[in-house]
Formats: sequence, structure tokens, C-alpha cells
Amino acid sequence: MSEQVASGRALIGELVGDQAGSWDLARELPAELLHKLGAQGLLCAEVSAAYGGLGASSQHNGELTAYVGSLCSSLRSVMTSQGMAAWTIQRLGDRGQRRRYLADLTSGLLAAVAFSEPAAGSDLSAMRTEIRASGDSVVLDGQKIWVTGARYADLLVVLGLHGDGATGDGAAGDGAAFVVVPASAPGVHLEPIADPLGCRAAGHAHVRFDNVRLPASSVLGGGGQSLSLLFTTALSYGRISVAWGCVGIVRACLSTATGHAKRREQSGKPLAQHQLVARHLAELLVAEQVSTLVCERASQSWDSASPDMVIAAVLAKHVSAGHAARSAATAVQVLASAGAQDGHVVARAYRDAKLMEIIEGSNEISQLILAQHALAILPDEHPNESR
Amino acid sequence: MTAEQAVAPVTAETIEDALLSFLAERVKTSVTPDQDLFSSGLVSSMFAMQLVVHLEEAYDIAIIGPELKLDNFRTVQAMTGLVLRLHDASADASADASDAVGDV
Repeated sequence: MSEQVASGRALIGELVGDQAGSWDLARELPAELLHKLGAQGLLCAEVSAAYGGLGASSQHNGELTAYVGSLCSSLRSVMTSQGMAAWTIQRLGDRGQRRRYLADLTSGLLAAVAFSEPAAGSDLSAMRTEIRASGDSVVLDGQKIWVTGARYADLLVVLGLHGDGATGDGAAGDGAAFVVVPASAPGVHLEPIADPLGCRAAGHAHVRFDNVRLPASSVLGGGGQSLSLLFTTALSYGRISVAWGCVGIVRACLSTATGHAKRREQSGKPLAQHQLVARHLAELLVAEQVSTLVCERASQSWDSASPDMVIAAVLAKHVSAGHAARSAATAVQVLASAGAQDGHVVARAYRDAKLMEIIEGSNEISQLILAQHALAILPDEHPNESR
Repeated sequence: MTAEQAVAPVTAETIEDALLSFLAERVKTSVTPDQDLFSSGLVSSMFAMQLVVHLEEAYDIAIIGPELKLDNFRTVQAMTGLVLRLHDASADASADASDAVGDV
């Protein structure tokens, strides 16, 4: 881990302390915490130094993400949003846009990325949000739901239909764009989600855009790109980030359950000496190792710019989210009444991890992608089916 | 930097050959240079993204912004054209000045 990332990690540990439980109960993160971490470049640590970032590798940022995830999944969710916004801008923006927006994102401004719509989750062909050219401006209309971090965001990075392909062939053609929208722009309406199941302090909101007029230079890379390619590009970062966040959830569950099983005695011996409990601890350890390895592999692919990074990110997300959900349930089981209260680390993990099986590609969508990949890599000649 | 390039010269032919073998290896099917990879169901947008990363790494180019169109990845010929265009542009240092979007 680079020095800057390591000292960032220490700073985060200090600033979060033991407050994650109370943030969960209050359903809010302190805004000054977010701006402070943002200004240090820690919320999107992979942004290169040339743009004011820390230039962390995916591997190092992954470990940082896991650490934040072990403390507070709400904060980690904001980090995922900020990192995804930065990656999207870096990937799609022209040089002027990169310079301007990445400087913003590493100096304390916060960003959220808006994908989902009331009718469009995984089904991109149902997307309706539209970015229309109008003289030197563009006009944005549409509705996005479940935008993580929106309540804290200064900038919203919004996916919509754009240009010629906007009519009809939206999902298959080249008629889409990301547009960067100041949250303060006239016509942007936020409706915070009061009681999300998990990541309760992550600032989820539904966002409506009514005739929002923006300079044409807000459209990343000029727009007119493939909707599915844009979606996959942005989500690939989100998937690796969520996957590492899940590693953090698993680590928190492992250490909490193990510590409890060691100290708590029943029938004259520590819980850990009861075989059925011991098995839970073994499963937690396996989960921690497996999800770490699959994330490390994805980050290695990412850092070496291997084409495998796309599938490796889906795999890492799917494996880690499943382990996080099961590990959280296991940890609650081991802690029993000691962990059965909102705000407790394993109670939070239990609710937060469930959302991780839904966000950035549900279990089922991840499995469909992996199945498609399995079919694609099946050799023409397959000796196992020789008859 | 003045280091001599040790790699094979980048021509339409070398790119096309390399792409055909990359695809053959990845999708386990041989394709023709003009075959529509999307309509034939061989390639998903997930794989298109892999192609983006592969081409960037193999030819030291950046496929960003307006170049991220599926049409640029629809056939081996289209990808070859894309690589040649971006490769020439990066060799020509003055090409960067074409970026006119910049109002604040």
C-alpha cells in the first residue's frame, strides 16, 4: 500500500472511530467527514496525480475500500459512488472535462452516479431519461431511482439517451451519454429514501430532472455512445469496489464473531469450543480468504489492463456479495442476542450485505453474465461430450 | 522518448490478423473480417468492453469518449479501422489540438 493510501487509512480509522453504529441509527453521515476525505482524494483514490488524485492501484484502493467497508458500509457506498463517478469521467470525458471534474472530485466535492429508473433496472431498453441538444445547451429530463450518495452529492453523473440513437434502438445502438449535472441546477429534485434496508446512512435518493438546462460541455466525451457499453464501463468499477467492500463486511464479521466466541462462555467453556459454533468460525475464515482472493484477482486484471477485468469484476462482486450475506447471517447467529440490535456491527452487516446481493448487478444478473461467459469460452471441440 | 519500437509494424493486415486470432481464442469460433459480431450473437456488450481494453493495451491507444460506439466494434474491419485511426492520431502529436470542447 502506498504511503498516502496507508496514511489515508489511518486518518479514516481515526475519523470513523466507533461512530458507524450511531450514523446507521441516525441514517446520516457527517457531511464534513465526507468533504474532508474527499479533499484528501481518499474517496476516489485511483485518480492519477496529474488530476490531483492519489494514483492508487486497484489493488491498493481495494484494500482501502475493504477497510472502510469493515468499519461502515454507508461510508464505503459513498466511496464507491465517488470512485465510479471519477472513473466514468476519466474513461469518457475529453481532456477539458477530466481536468475540471477530476479536480473537483479530489478537492472535496462529492459525486453520485444515476443509472436505475422506475422501469429500467437491468433492462436498459426501458431507459427513458433523455439528454436533448438545444442550441449550445442540452436539456435533461427523466427520473432516476436509488441513487447512492445523492443526498450528499454536489455533482450527479447521469446516464441517459442522447443523440440520434435516442429514438428507438436505445440499448443496441449508439444513442446514449453520461451528463454531469450540478445537484443545485434548477429542475433537479431530490427525494431522499427515508428507511433503506441497509447502508442506511449512504444518502440514497430518487432524483427527478425536469427540463434541466446544462452547457453542452457537460456531456462526457460529446455523447452518442453505446448505452450498454457506457453501462458496463461505469459498472465495472462499481462492481470491483462493492466486491472489496464486501470483503470488509466479511472481515468485520470474522473478527467480531471470533472474538465473541473466544470470550463468551456457556456450559463451562468458550463458545468456540462448541463444535457447531466452531464450524461457523471456519466458514467465516473461508469466506474471508475466498472473497479476498477473488477481489485480488480482479484488481490484478484491472491494474494490468487485462481484457479479463470485465468478467473478473462480475465474478468478484458475485462471490464476495454472497459471502458477505452468508457471513453476516453467520456472525449474527454466533453473536446471538449480543448482536441483535440495530447499529451493532453484525446487525449492520446483516442488512448491508443483503443490499450488496442486489446492487451493481443482482445475484441473478451476475449469474446470467457468468453463464454467458461460460458458454462463450466453451471450446468448439469438447472431448467430454464425445458421444 | 526515442526508444526504438520493437513490435511489429502496425498495419491493417497485422491488426486484422491479431484480432482474428484474439477472437478465435476468446469466443472459440473463427470469424470473418466483415462478420457482424453483435448480430451473430458472438459478442455481448460485456465482451465489447473487453475488446476496448484489449485494443488499448495491445496498441497503446486510448479509446474514449466519442469512440465508444458499438459500431466501432461491430466487425474486425471496423476495429481495425479504429485502431489505425487512433494509432495515427497518437503518432501525430498535433492531433490533440482538435479538442474544441472547453467552455466553463
